[in-house]
Order: sequence, then structure tokens, then C-alpha cells
Amino acid sequence: MNLNIKKYFALTRASIITSLSFRLSTLIMIFGNLLYLLVVYFLWKAIYASAGTDTVNGMTFNDTLIYLVLATALFTFMEMYIVWEIGRNIQSGQIVLDLIKPMDYRQYVFWSYAGELITHFVFTFLPTFIVVSIVTHGAIPMSWNLLWFILSVFLAVSINNSIDYFVGGICLYTESIWGINIMKQVLVTLLSGATIPIAFFPEPFKTVVMYLPFQSIYNTPLLILLGKSGDTMETLSMIGVQAFWVVVMALISRGFWRLSIRQITVNGG
Amino acid sequence: MDNAVIRKRKGLGFYLRIYRKILAQDIKSKMSYRADFIISTVGMICTNIAGFVSFWILFRNFPSVGGWGYYEMLFLYGFSLVALTPVQCLFDNNWSLRQYVYNGDFIKYCFRPMNLFFYFQSEVFDIKGLGQFTFGIGTLVYSWAKLGLAVTPLAILKTIIFLITASLVMVALQNAAAASCFWIMNSFYLLDLTMKFRDYSKYPITIFSPVFKFVFTFVVPIAFIAYYPSLVILRPEEAGVLSFISPFVGALLFYLSYKFWMYGALKYSGTGS
Repeated sequence: MNLNIKKYFALTRASIITSLSFRLSTLIMIFGNLLYLLVVYFLWKAIYASAGTDTVNGMTFNDTLIYLVLATALFTFMEMYIVWEIGRNIQSGQIVLDLIKPMDYRQYVFWSYAGELITHFVFTFLPTFIVVSIVTHGAIPMSWNLLWFILSVFLAVSINNSIDYFVGGICLYTESIWGINIMKQVLVTLLSGATIPIAFFPEPFKTVVMYLPFQSIYNTPLLILLGKSGDTMETLSMIGVQAFWVVVMALISRGFWRLSIRQITVNGG
Repeated sequence: MDNAVIRKRKGLGFYLRIYRKILAQDIKSKMSYRADFIISTVGMICTNIAGFVSFWILFRNFPSVGGWGYYEMLFLYGFSLVALTPVQCLFDNNWSLRQYVYNGDFIKYCFRPMNLFFYFQSEVFDIKGLGQFTFGIGTLVYSWAKLGLAVTPLAILKTIIFLITASLVMVALQNAAAASCFWIMNSFYLLDLTMKFRDYSKYPITIFSPVFKFVFTFVVPIAFIAYYPSLVILRPEEAGVLSFISPFVGALLFYLSYKFWMYGALKYSGTGS
């Protein structure tokens, strides 16, 4: 067991070092994010200015802005581009070498990306969070919700990872990576509330979205963080829903991956 | 024979003929991955539908964005989608430039007796851009009809000219970002950034504060991608000097980006392998 943890830790450490060595790209990424946040700020300011009221669907301008800013930060931190990696490995044939490594392929890829997860958390999410909480003068409550939020993020990362593997499994059949991946990205960002808060979705659509796993990725942790998840019972039930999706998505993606990995054909090598 | 002498003999006809031949090869090789082609096209259309849906959700809650109504925003969106087609279809190889440069394969382009930039870009034709084109035209026509804009030959001519303008600006931004890989590692992030900029171009520039209006007009000229050109058609009374000079801005930016790209490419000395 001890050995197990050690080998995963080694992978994580290596990927932290790799991601830190691309300093310029990190800078550009941070700059790009800032720019995006500015656009989001002006856009929603204009939108709220034309609304005539301060609160739309229970969200004030501040609420919406914090929600979207943190959604973006959460997205940069959680999006691991695992499908691209699997896709590249399928096309180059590298996947065969990774599959015969003495550890589970999914574990191997996850832990070698976990380092990036950590650096992104420290360099994108944390600074954004601190700036937002200072700028908005305590619009983010600082109490138990932080603890629930962290738990919720862990569950969200797991759901996201399962979805990635499910999509990676599809890639094994189609050998088309770009199209599948872009579809996944679009579906997840729209239906998880990362582009427009789910509170704004019109009715039948909103109910449908709430029954899908995607809202557990961004909407749930953000509502918990903003203190909009109700009392402890309601928060717990939201986390319960997340836990449900963690299990279901893990089962589905694991089963599907097992099935489709037999499908693999590698040309040359 | 002297290189310059050879170069002089090549006119537009030569390049068109070559382009047709390279294009045919590329399409043939793409068609052997038919599933990939279909899935990519569907993926592209999904992206556009998602953009459409976000507008729809937004305007279910709010009457307008900074004085711009639903159909006007759709017009901007459709306009930018159509204007995006050339950069998507004809200049997609820019995304692979950095890989060619790192692994040294780029050197193969340097040995052909024709324009380096032309040869590099002509090698890939991205068919999935055509799905986006269709969707964009649909959106444009739909919003045109809903806005009750007149359909005159002049209006159509104007639209075409300003669409070309917008395309040139987009191509220029992408060329410049791609060419940065001749100097820096990991130019992917820069390309990704220009792509983000491109997404912002579908919003009216008036929503920004004066500082950013200036930046988006003169520093990173994304306002020329959709806003200034479409003003001429949407709100001719508001269209100012900037709208009317935008075709020249587009052409100038394209020329500059081409020079920048070539400057980097001619400096390239291979990886030594």
C-alpha cells in the first residue's frame, strides 16, 4: 500500500515540475483569464444595466459576477484536457506502452495530471478567490461553507474525470478526437452553468439540467461557496447528489472503458 | 537558375492551379477518415448551437445588452461566424505550425520553389468550417429578416465587403499568434488567447469602458471583426469613420501579419536533425 502511494506521488511531483517549467505559458494563461474576466464584467454590467431591476432570478449583479468569475477559475483548475491526452496517445500508439505499465492506465493518467491540478489551484483559483473575496467585501461567507466547498470540489473533480474517461472511451471507437472533445466541452460548460448561471435557465430546461450530472461539477460547489445552498440539510443533500453522480459516473465510465479498450487498434508503432 | 528569376514567372494562375491540386489531395486523405469528418462537423455545429442557446437564455431574462436587442446580437453572432470561415477553412494549418517548428519538419516547406506562406497554408483545408459557415449564414439571414432590413444589391455588396474585412482581421491575428512560435516555446497559449479574443468580438464594443474601447480598437483590434463592419449594415446612422476605413484596416493588418510570419519563417534554421 505504501509503495502504491509512493509511485503515484512520484508522478504527481513530476507533473508539478513540468508545469512549473512553462513559466511564459502560465503567464499568458493568467493574462488570458484576466481578460476574460474583464469581458465578463463589462458584459454583465451592460446586461444588468438594461434589466431595470437589481435582482434577476434571485441573483444580483455581484452574485452573478462572483459566480461566473469563480466558475472560470474553477474551470481552469479542473479542466485537465485528459481526453486530448488520450486522443494523442491513441493516434501515436503511445497508449499501448502506457497500458502495459504495471499500474492501472486511468490511475496513471490521473496522477500524472494531478500535479497540474495542484499548480492550477495555487496559481489560478486561489488568487482569483482571494481577489474576489477582498473586492466584494465579504460577499463570500467565510465559515463552514468553505469546508463543504472543498469536499464538493473533490467530488466534482471525480465526476469530471469520469466524464473524461467516458469520452476517451468513445474516442477509442471513433478515432476522432477533436469533434468528440469539442462536443463534450460545449455540453459540459453550458449544462454545468459555467457560461450562464443555472438560475437563469428557463423552466422546463432548468429542471432537465438539474437531473443531469453536469450541474454537480460547477453549479453545486459554487452555490455552496456563495452560501446560496440553504441550511446544512440542503447543503448535505446537494453533496449527496454529487456523491450519487460520483458513483454512477465512475461505474459507467469504468465499465465502458473496459469494454472499449479491447477495441483499440494501433497502426504501426 | 537564379531564384529571383523563377519567382517572377509565378502569377496568380500558377498558385490557383497548385492550390487546386493540393486541395484535392487533402480532401482525398480527409475522406478516408469519413467518421472523423462527420463527427467534427457535428461537433462544430454543436458549438454554434450552444452559442445560440446562451443568447436565447440571456434574452429570456433580460430585454437587451447595452441597448442591443436579441436580433441585433444574433446578427453580430452570425456575422462573426461567417467571417470566421476563411480562418477556419484555409488557415487551419497555423495550429500545427509550432509542432512543425519544434520537430524540424518545417524545413520541408522551405525547399519548395514557391511562396512559403502560401505552401504552408494550402496544405490543410478544414472542411468542418463549412458546417459553421452554413449555420452562420442561417443566423445572419434569420436575424436580417427579423430586423426587417432591406434586401438590396447594395446592402448585399456591403455585407460581402465587410465580411471579407472581418475575415482579414481574424486571419491576421491568428497568423501573428502562430508565428510567435518561431521565437517562443508553447505558442499554443497565445493561439488559444487569440481564439478567446475572437469569441469576444461578437459583443458590441459599446458595452466596454472607454479604456477598453480604445484597447479593442487600436491595440488588439477585435472590434474590427464584427462590431465596426456590422454597424454599416445594422445601424448606418451610427457608423463612423472607423467603420468605413475597416476594409483598409483589415488589409493592412493582414499584410503586416504576413510579413511577420515570413520574417519568422525565413529566420528559421531547422533543428539540425
